[in-house]
Amino acid sequence: MASHGVSRVIGTNIRSAEVRQKEIEQIAAYKNLVDLVNTKITERKYTIEVLGLVTKLLNENPEYYTIWNHRRRVLGGLFDVPPTGGSPTQTPHGEELINGELQLTFALLRKFPKCYWIWNHRNWVLRKGESLSDTEAARKLWSGELQLIGKMLHADSRNFHAWSYRREVVAYLERTPASISSSTSPILSQSLAESEYEYTTKMIKTNLSNFSAWHSRAKLIPRLLNERGADNAARKQLLDSELALICTAINTDPFDQSIWYYHQFLMSTLSPECSRQNQIVLGLSNMDRQKYYAHEIEYIHEIIEDEADCKWIYVALLHLATSYLEIDGGTNAFTTVDMRSWLEQLKRLDPLRRGRWAELGSSLNI
Amino acid sequence: MALVSGPGRGGMDSMPAEMRLFVDKHVRYIQSLDSRKDELEYWLTEHLRLNGLYWGLTALHLLGHPDALPRHELLEFVFSCLHENGGFGAAPGHDAHMLYTVSGVQILATLDAFDELEKRVPGGRMKTGQYIADLQDPETGTFAGDEWGERDTRFLYGALNALSLMGLLHLVNVDKAVDHIQTCANFDGGYGTSPGAESHSGQIFTCLAALSIAGRLDLVEQDKLGAWLSERQLKNGGLNGRPEKKEDVCYSWWVATSLAMLKKLHWIDGAKLTAFILQCQDPELGGLADRPGDMVDVFHTVFGIAGLSLLQYPGLAEVDPVYCMPRAVTARCLSRQW
Repeated sequence: MASHGVSRVIGTNIRSAEVRQKEIEQIAAYKNLVDLVNTKITERKYTIEVLGLVTKLLNENPEYYTIWNHRRRVLGGLFDVPPTGGSPTQTPHGEELINGELQLTFALLRKFPKCYWIWNHRNWVLRKGESLSDTEAARKLWSGELQLIGKMLHADSRNFHAWSYRREVVAYLERTPASISSSTSPILSQSLAESEYEYTTKMIKTNLSNFSAWHSRAKLIPRLLNERGADNAARKQLLDSELALICTAINTDPFDQSIWYYHQFLMSTLSPECSRQNQIVLGLSNMDRQKYYAHEIEYIHEIIEDEADCKWIYVALLHLATSYLEIDGGTNAFTTVDMRSWLEQLKRLDPLRRGRWAELGSSLNI
Repeated sequence: MALVSGPGRGGMDSMPAEMRLFVDKHVRYIQSLDSRKDELEYWLTEHLRLNGLYWGLTALHLLGHPDALPRHELLEFVFSCLHENGGFGAAPGHDAHMLYTVSGVQILATLDAFDELEKRVPGGRMKTGQYIADLQDPETGTFAGDEWGERDTRFLYGALNALSLMGLLHLVNVDKAVDHIQTCANFDGGYGTSPGAESHSGQIFTCLAALSIAGRLDLVEQDKLGAWLSERQLKNGGLNGRPEKKEDVCYSWWVATSLAMLKKLHWIDGAKLTAFILQCQDPELGGLADRPGDMVDVFHTVFGIAGLSLLQYPGLAEVDPVYCMPRAVTARCLSRQW
């Protein structure tokens, strides 16, 4: 009912008698399975056999959210059954069930990576696992998730389900510190900000156009700096290295908008309006700001020589010029005539958004 | 089927062929959706049935054919999805969930049938309102989809949408919900599914629409977000959902209506977007697809037509940018003294 990227083939509505017959049989089999599962659930038959039927149905239709609910009802029943053999605290039965769920959802996610219900069920399973096993075992379970997500993001580096799930897994691992020894472990800070930051570097180096990775990086930086206890020299060093990274990226492909958004993010941290928690360098003076803005204007202006028809250059220049003027920087780095010519370029290169450029012109009063 | 007369209707016929909206074909396509019981796909998509009805009914209203589906049968079906707890499932026997409860309420609103709900289930409106209200997380202000706890700004918007249509917004903590939306805001001015998540046009629509209902659009970084949204338009006129992604007709609604809420719809090229949406029609059998030449479905059909309405394509009824419902319907519901 919501198909994406499936070509329309003329004449597909005319099906042969044989095909029709086969489809009618498939429908009957499918509906029988649905009825069977629903009957068993109404009867509260929460058994391994019913779990098998539910698996079969979900393999045929992973979007059927009620069946995922049924699955959790059955699992809830099975978790409550005392394990046969083994010590009661180990709950090997529970662990087996959890592993089975992880395998099922992994297989389904490979086929349906954007199905909300599968991600949702996996999350539920992990939380269930957390309550069933000791901290060490639960942590092992959650750590394994980072590998799964790595695989999912390898297949589609922009899958926002996978990125969201990654943030959840990381948050879990951070609030559940690993113990050095089980009895006398002090609670250690287990922030993963450094390794997550590394991960975004890796993803960006594979593909500069990965805005999901740039986004994550922007979210991580303020935390990273706080946790490093970075002094202002270290903060400045980080900003400068981020600017160097993004400027190389801009030079590589100035037509890629994800890169320019990250550049905008870095520039926004310089603004006097930027909240303290989001600032990269603290206590900037207007003189410092001017220097940064002027430097960026100069750098970006140079790209015009090779890429005069790249509209993002002019968007950035106008942005920087506006920020420069807002801190009362005067116009040493550029003139009103420059601004007017950049705006003219935008109107020429980007007629789709001419309404926006016209409004920008009047708001800048140039 | 006779064309409904209306302003600009005559103008549509005199349009050049590539600018024509195949109204009758789309009406027949939507009418045919429930007669496809011999297709496996019909059964595999049962979990979308109530959404599908809302999509189809809304498209028909915007196309000027509000009576093309039988009212009585529609209501019978909607009530057959209603649970004891006041929530709606996707179809009879499917569990209650926010997504279908919102569709149920939207259909009842469009059919002006809240009184019929009361006749069948005394106190039904309040029950449904309470079902929704109980899904609010008192800690964070966001909403879960159902008892299993998945949280997402989609559900938050759905809650405010349905409650406001029923005059029951006071059942929830709107200020807390607004606070939550703000924690989902990103440096690019957009919003994600939850705090920390990347900006996404669908999610931006839900957050802006929720803020509109709460009367708090003042909290939005309007210029920044408007700029980001306007950059969703690609050379072929279509809109994408995130930077460096492909165009898709459903974003003709989510992006364009977000711009409309910010009063910046003129920041994109409306004529080019109109042409793109029209290219996604199946000129033979009706319906719209995600992209030209692809398989149609009722989801892309309604969002394409709603996009056209927003762009004031001649002959279409006016759509409400916040609710994706006919303006006449939302005006009636929101002004009603309950």
